[in-house]
Amino acid sequence: MNTVLLVQSLIGGIIMGSVYALLGVGFSLTWGVMRVIHISHAAFGLIAAFVAYGCLQRWGIDPIASLVFMVPLLFCCACFVYRFLILPVTKAREVIVSSMILTFGIAIIVENIMLLIWGPDPRLITTWYTSRVFIVGPFYFQYAPVAGFVMAVAGVGVIHLFLKKTYTGKAVRAAWQQSDAAQLYGVNLTRISMITFGLAVGSAGAGGVGLALLYSFEPHAHNLWLIYLFLVVIVGGVGNVLGTAAAGVLIGIITGLSLAFLPYQWVNPLTFGLLMAVLAVRPHGLFRSEV
Amino acid sequence: MLAVERLVVKYDELTALRGVSLTVESGALVAMIGSNGAGKTTLLNAVSGLIPTREGTISWEGSLITGLTPDAVCRLGIVQAPEGRKLFAKMTVEENLQMGAYSPGPRARVAESMKRVLELFPRLAERRRQTAESLSGGEQQMLALGRALMATPGLLMLDEPSLGLAPIMAAQIFEIIGDLNRAGTTILLVSQEVLQTLSIARDGYLLENGEITLAGPSERLLADQRVKKSYLGL
Repeated sequence: MNTVLLVQSLIGGIIMGSVYALLGVGFSLTWGVMRVIHISHAAFGLIAAFVAYGCLQRWGIDPIASLVFMVPLLFCCACFVYRFLILPVTKAREVIVSSMILTFGIAIIVENIMLLIWGPDPRLITTWYTSRVFIVGPFYFQYAPVAGFVMAVAGVGVIHLFLKKTYTGKAVRAAWQQSDAAQLYGVNLTRISMITFGLAVGSAGAGGVGLALLYSFEPHAHNLWLIYLFLVVIVGGVGNVLGTAAAGVLIGIITGLSLAFLPYQWVNPLTFGLLMAVLAVRPHGLFRSEV
Repeated sequence: MLAVERLVVKYDELTALRGVSLTVESGALVAMIGSNGAGKTTLLNAVSGLIPTREGTISWEGSLITGLTPDAVCRLGIVQAPEGRKLFAKMTVEENLQMGAYSPGPRARVAESMKRVLELFPRLAERRRQTAESLSGGEQQMLALGRALMATPGLLMLDEPSLGLAPIMAAQIFEIIGDLNRAGTTILLVSQEVLQTLSIARDGYLLENGEITLAGPSERLLADQRVKKSYLGL
């Protein structure tokens, strides 16, 4: 076996997996804290990718720099979506099912808006550093994926610290562990859910831009992204931020290695076969479900 | 002062409270006794705003609080330590206490309250980095009490604080509750432990089937034939 190829594909897998993890943590939080399986999560990430692409084409703004206004913008959009669409649905008896149907509808609408605005052609983000590489020994690294990786680590780290260190983050965890008691001690559930949803969608924007640094994308791409989201969240434990990150890297490694050493048509069957094996042995995922 | 007047609460068509009235004066320790299913927890949850009321009013320090959300009720200083403790199981002892002081008022004094609570419960100080679920039953109850105190309550409502505890532990909890009241905290204590509850409370109410059937000073409740027969087994 070729060691250089092995290490190179391992690194590629870790980079890919960490970006999926960044896209996945918010999905995991909305699922864990709010019991909402947010099907349009990846679609919001994709919007961010398109907007970043547009900003780059038109004004030459770097995609990562564009997150400075994109994340707050997505946060606000998400608060509106939460207030007027998700909140009424959370009063239903079967929140998980009704929220899935609702957000599936949102995903379709968002996808078609993207089709209308940007058309069906695949886009590729090309910055000044896209074709640049730096070489360490026998390995070469492309700037863009490394930038995506750094962003993913920073993003997941920020969300983790938010949940562990800030009062609002602790309230998010408290609301998920024991919602009645959280309310009795002054937590406004609607407000906390809105913040959770806003942060989740905001981080989806960062994850979407991260994926756009790695791959080309078109308005349907979020469907494939979504499948990977389910994968990382189920393996990582619903609501578990660091578990999601670890699962993302793990799945990235599996995909990266199988891409390098197996025929392409075997990659997804292998990945999802492993998912089924994981679920059969550990029905709650590899890591504990917790916030 | 908390004043509840002719409060009616229904779960679908099941009536849980049928016109309950009670008052808790500032600085008092008032007991609410009654059997399982009498409506004691329902009453506390209605005051806390966790469940909607059908008729009647709840007022606090002279203003109406009926219909407020639980977080708004908490901000007014009405703090409930719920039945079954309802701790944040996977959060540490310290985080549970911090969450008790989540409202803006108590949060401004969180360091001070933390010091006070950890002095009151040294066991919690020893275990501040452990998760709540890893504590023993008695320690969990101390944490539940400590978390409630972190909210600097104007009225502390305790729901079955001794449930599931060994008798010696339960006695210790009741002693702490008595001390808290003597130190100035207004308390509404709900419990099935009639004798212990009435021995530390000045006044009491007997709730049966969603109705107050007896009210008055603790001695009078303890001397009542019905209480003796049904709740003290005498």
